[in-house]
Amino acid sequence: MSISSPPSLVEAELAELRPFLQKELEAGTLDLPLLPVVAHQVLLVSGDPNADSSKLSTLIQQDQALAAQILRIANSPAYAPRSPIVSLQQAIAWLGFNMLAGLAFSVSVQSGVFKISGHQQEIQGLWRQALATGLYGKEIARRIRHNVENAFLCGILHLIGKPGALHLLSRAPSPTGSSHSWTALEILLDEFHIPVGTVLGKTWKLPESVQETIQFYQDDQYHHAISPAKGTVITCLAHHLASLSLQTSPMNEDAIRHLPVVRELNFYPEDMTALLELQESIRKNVECFVI
Amino acid sequence: MKPSSSFDVLVIGSGPAGQKAAIQGAKAGKRVGLVEQNREVGGACVYQGTIPSKTLRESALQMVRFLQATDVFEFRMRDDVKITSLMTRLHHVVRAHGEFMKEQLTRNGITPLHGRAKFRSDHEVDIHHVDGTCTTASAPLIIIAAGSRPRIPDHVAIDHEHILDSDSILSLVYLPKSLTVLGGGVIASEYASMFALLGVQVTMIDSADRPLKFLDQELTDQFSLAFEQTGGRYRGLQKIQHVQWDGYSHVTTTLDNGETVNSEKMLVALGRVANIEYLNISAAGLEPTSRGLIAVNDHCQTSVPHIYAVGDVIGPPSLASCSMEQGRRAVCHALGLDPGVAPEHIPMGIYTIPEMSSVGLSEQDAIGKFGSALVGRAKFYEIARGQISGMTNGLLKMVADPDGKELLGVHIVGEGATELIHIGQMGLLHHIQVDRFIENIFNFPTLAEAYRVAALDIAKQRSRR
Repeated sequence: MSISSPPSLVEAELAELRPFLQKELEAGTLDLPLLPVVAHQVLLVSGDPNADSSKLSTLIQQDQALAAQILRIANSPAYAPRSPIVSLQQAIAWLGFNMLAGLAFSVSVQSGVFKISGHQQEIQGLWRQALATGLYGKEIARRIRHNVENAFLCGILHLIGKPGALHLLSRAPSPTGSSHSWTALEILLDEFHIPVGTVLGKTWKLPESVQETIQFYQDDQYHHAISPAKGTVITCLAHHLASLSLQTSPMNEDAIRHLPVVRELNFYPEDMTALLELQESIRKNVECFVI
Repeated sequence: MKPSSSFDVLVIGSGPAGQKAAIQGAKAGKRVGLVEQNREVGGACVYQGTIPSKTLRESALQMVRFLQATDVFEFRMRDDVKITSLMTRLHHVVRAHGEFMKEQLTRNGITPLHGRAKFRSDHEVDIHHVDGTCTTASAPLIIIAAGSRPRIPDHVAIDHEHILDSDSILSLVYLPKSLTVLGGGVIASEYASMFALLGVQVTMIDSADRPLKFLDQELTDQFSLAFEQTGGRYRGLQKIQHVQWDGYSHVTTTLDNGETVNSEKMLVALGRVANIEYLNISAAGLEPTSRGLIAVNDHCQTSVPHIYAVGDVIGPPSLASCSMEQGRRAVCHALGLDPGVAPEHIPMGIYTIPEMSSVGLSEQDAIGKFGSALVGRAKFYEIARGQISGMTNGLLKMVADPDGKELLGVHIVGEGATELIHIGQMGLLHHIQVDRFIENIFNFPTLAEAYRVAALDIAKQRSRR
């Protein structure tokens, strides 16, 4: 568990780490984590109109840890299998191609990118937030008849800059030799996750709508997005709803109902009530996905 | 107390019908309020219906023509250009059209009221805004033009992910390998032919023996042939027992006879329902019909004389063109203005591939009315322009009275049909005799020449009598 540092120490850490990140960004030669190979291949397979489930299952079978996670999730109460799922093929049949592709992608990103030594609990919090945003994004997309699959992908990757920045910071020199406080790191992640995420999105050649979402998902930015898929504006609201659902939001229900993004999506009070009622089910789903 | 505003005319809905009603009211010097529940004006026509589907169709046609030209002009298209490019163009067209409509309303001094309308009384409407507040608007004349939305059948669970409706189909980011289309009406046929042309394996399933049953059979036969040539399949006289996403890779449709049809995605296009539930029309003294519509007389006037209903809320023909005219005429009638001669012959345009269009009496209707009819046909492959443009898969059918003199109807299948029909419409409106199409000179080479060929066919049959 992280212990918060006194303000003067945090300021000192920020003064030391901020120039480091700025320098890395300005140099344009970021040593960022690679998109896990499996995640990259899953992305290719799920976007390939000629791909079928056999390609996907072959891919998953190549990664034992991933296959085990899929089995665990398929057996979780959220997916309520009629009988215990004991094989990958059975899991694929139960979860479906798209669900499985999303799952495989998210599990491999989680284990590959969201896995940095130290601060495990906080990093898992970031992952929960990303996942809940993806799941809420699907529900918002359904409501406005927009693409559900794209909304999930945008949600799950919109914070990818945070583990990316953390990866960079893990290499930053520490004069005292001790690890950095989470308080300082959190401030820096908030500050730098968008530029870092933007670079990651380009490097990983993520779909354009996802890149746009990473860059513009915040309340004062979504109006810059031009993609007809509306992933950015969907993710903006999904992010707030996810935070509320995970009880990490500084806002209450009423404040979320009055956000400009709610008007942007033309959500009436009854639409918001329906979305807010999903909090519990989203929370349960998130717990199933977390490794 | 709620803030309130009063107008001379209050229009509910900004689709084609509501927009024209509002503009007519403003042109007559009235203060007009226009209630719209969406942020943008234009209704389903602009955002989920006519404009996007026709844009997508046009883009698909252009893309296929382009692909066909790659061999001739020795270039290659990117493999991933397909659906995203089509959708991006669609987005641009829709946005431009929406902006144009907004400007038009502003120019006419119409007050936009963003919110969901709910009748409080026969003269007052509560407007529930997106921020949760509510205001009231009142007017001595109210026009209901709330439009319609896709019907969700009880036995099909539309999830907008695997099983889509005609709204969510427009958000596809990739082309599915296969698509089952439930329905055989206009929307079903338009999307089925469009996706088949794009290389998707399409199966249409409907209870009718042929698609677009209300159209002349010769037209639908041509459509079915073209659909099959692009790999499409029509399964007529079928009843759906069950539709289910198999949780794996396919939507499985089980027919009454036990047969199953699998596809990657499904489009459910089984009609539309009027948007009247939220309106609370009973507070205005109105009741919906058994089909969930609002009953009106010939002037689109409801049983409450100062409330009119226009467009999809009153049911067929549910054509954007017709709805616009209903909106205009309703306001003219209410304000005591002369609306002009009522349109006798309304053309119907169906944007399938190939297009179909129809005006006046069908052959069957003419036989029913006159005992018999003379029918002239012109096949596009007989027309020079058809050959030049490669549009050989078409037919123009001219229906005349038993003497072969009076024009009664025109029915066309083939590219350009929805434009070409207007010659026939003008002919009908001005009671042009069949021979006038023979005596007159059309540009050469044009598809309009088909009128002359069809008229000659009638003259030939006449001379044999």
